[in-house]
Amino acid sequence: MVQILDVMQKALEGKPMSETDYQLRSFAAKVNEKVKEYDIHFDRNTPIPDDPTLADDAFQAAFDLVVEVGAYCTNTNRVISYTESEVKEALRFAPSEIEFGEGKDRRKLRPRSVGDKNPPWCLLGAGGGACSSEQSFLALVEGYAEIPEANAITTPALTRVGGMRIRPASPLEVLGAQRNAVLFREACNRVGRQGMPVMNALSTAESDIALAGAMHPKYGLRQSDGYMICCMDPMKVDFARLNKATVALGLGGPIGMCFGPMMGGYAGGPEGTAISNIAHHMMGILTYQASWFLPFPLHLRYVSSSCRELLWLISLSGQAISRNTHLLSVNLNYTSAGPSTLMCLLETSASVTAAVTSGLHIESLGVASNKEEDRTTPVEPRISAEVGHAVAGMSLADANELVTRLVKGYEDKLQAPPLGKMLFEAWDADRRRPSKDYIAVLKEYRKKMKSLGIGVRGGPWA
Amino acid sequence: MSAEKILEQLRGAVLKYDSDAAVSAAKAVIHAKMDPLQAIEKGLVPAIHDVGEKFEKMEIYLPELMLAGDAMKSALALLLPLVPKGEKTSKATVVIGTVQGDVHEIGKNIVSSMLMAGGFEVIDLGVNVKTSTFVDEAKARGAKIIGASALMSSTIGSQKDIIDYLSASGDRRRFTVLVGGGPTTQEWSDEIGADGWGKNAVHAVKLASKAVKGR
Ligand code: B12
Repeated sequence: MVQILDVMQKALEGKPMSETDYQLRSFAAKVNEKVKEYDIHFDRNTPIPDDPTLADDAFQAAFDLVVEVGAYCTNTNRVISYTESEVKEALRFAPSEIEFGEGKDRRKLRPRSVGDKNPPWCLLGAGGGACSSEQSFLALVEGYAEIPEANAITTPALTRVGGMRIRPASPLEVLGAQRNAVLFREACNRVGRQGMPVMNALSTAESDIALAGAMHPKYGLRQSDGYMICCMDPMKVDFARLNKATVALGLGGPIGMCFGPMMGGYAGGPEGTAISNIAHHMMGILTYQASWFLPFPLHLRYVSSSCRELLWLISLSGQAISRNTHLLSVNLNYTSAGPSTLMCLLETSASVTAAVTSGLHIESLGVASNKEEDRTTPVEPRISAEVGHAVAGMSLADANELVTRLVKGYEDKLQAPPLGKMLFEAWDADRRRPSKDYIAVLKEYRKKMKSLGIGVRGGPWA
Repeated sequence: MSAEKILEQLRGAVLKYDSDAAVSAAKAVIHAKMDPLQAIEKGLVPAIHDVGEKFEKMEIYLPELMLAGDAMKSALALLLPLVPKGEKTSKATVVIGTVQGDVHEIGKNIVSSMLMAGGFEVIDLGVNVKTSTFVDEAKARGAKIIGASALMSSTIGSQKDIIDYLSASGDRRRFTVLVGGGPTTQEWSDEIGADGWGKNAVHAVKLASKAVKGR
């Protein structure tokens, strides 16, 4: 079994290569080759493919990719390569269940299968989106912790400390990360969910030092939280990220590797990006010692995951992973539209359906491309979780029909989506409810979903 | 080989993303004693322009865009030194990078390739670039434009640092500073006193072209 010392040895002794050669001439070229070799084709009319051979071929293509290309270390400019038997062994020994949380909020994350009737693990929140103040951080996390379906929370990232904008790897970031941990527990305590785990520990800690600096138990992080560490697209790592992995391993916290391959980026179109997305899972077990996975494939132009190409690639990846492994994979989705718009809710419904019916769990979500501070509310993840529970057990064919009808409702607006409202315009934190306007949107949404045969509540307010 | 045929080879090399072919074609230009400036403007530039347009339409993807840029660079490395001083080859030189502490590179890579396609000489400093490196490189390479990409609210502050650094040394007016990246906005650009904010790569090229005309 490849361990962290082996990874370092490979990073120090692997084949030297420039970063450009790795990503353009090795990785990108090999992905293209695999798409052709395994004859993988995207079909616009079938956003949820129902073809087990396609899923298994995509898995095999991804396996080949990991073995033939390997990962890359940007500090040593060397390839971290893995043999076929190392990859197989990693797949065999990867954990098939992990417990997160404490007390009554302690739950087991288990693998799902295609069409699984068991509801997905709902990791709910901001997906690391930036928030402007501690006040908005608390308002959001309290709102997330109150969602009945929530198994775990993904917090926003703080951007200011003491009136100053946080700078990476500076004392401001260390202080921000400590505050992120403390405020998370405070928000959960306030609404009576003391045992709730955070699974993106710690979004405010972009650097290794900030994560390490917030690990002391007095800030409240637990071994039963999830430690999320990003990999740089495509399959690139550096010492800072490996440091984070080493620190989390030291604490015994389960590492989730997140990776956001962009469709249109290094892996090319939807087919290649699906292969890359699947491959990152294997690369993550080996390189980060990851025990759970957080894919968030996105469209390069829209920076969201609700267009046909992305729905297809989420579904194909999910089917490939759940049919061929017992890995714990949690798909994070992004919308283009913002809070208090029907489009945003339809987008997240489509992406969640693609993931859940294909055997994945969900992290929901990045709103309005997840790039603006405070353009998100506790409503969107709540709706996503309701949809996740409602569609569990649905067949791929039915999911295809549902998703096709959903996507028709917004695809022509992806170029210039409505950005909706800001947090405190759309969410009344004192009364723990959305604005009147948003409630009207929720009613419309519920009606629309009903007409598509899906019963969702639309929150307790609609 | 006829001049037309050599130009065709230059174009073909870029359109096929082939650096080796670009080098051989550039050598053929030299061997045939063709005007290097003509070779650049009639061979390389239209080809990379086509590539840029195809990328915009998503007919090709990032690797092809970047490889075409690489092919163009390899040919330019041979041809540019032969262009007599004083003759204009590119619109201007742009030094571009992702700021300190930030490793997001995709947007920056697109902007950098599209600037090249738009006729600029581009010096890409990569990611996690120190403030002083932007400025030192811009001075050393005779660049007129500095482009700084930042994707995180924690790193956009470095865009301000670049401008403050230039102002403090009295060099602010020598450079056009363009900023961009997910969380940046026109307001942010105004607040820090940048010369332009690029919403996307096409917009970035427009801003850079405007800056050259304005000078
Ligand atoms: C893909 C992605 C990644 C990939 C990057 C892959 C790569 N090789 O570049 C990976 C997975 C590695 C990654 C890592 C991280 N990421 Co990230 N990432 C993104 C994401 C989803 C998209 C960025 C992107 O490529 N967009 C597509 C390109 C085409 O758009 P663009 O970059 O904006 O560029 C366009 C324009 O802005 C403009 N432009 C860009 N640059 C310039 C420059 C000039 C001069 C001009 C004129 C124009 C211009 O033109 C471009 C082309 O149209 C964003 C979300 C978002 N919406 O931006 C988060 C995001 C930027 N990431 C974020 C975070 C937190 C991280 C991590 C810290 C995660 C972690 N905890 O480890 C690490 C960063 C580590 C570090 N120190 O840098 C946050 C930042 C939050 C904040 N604090 O503000 C974001 C906003 C997501 C989120 N909300 O959580 N990320």
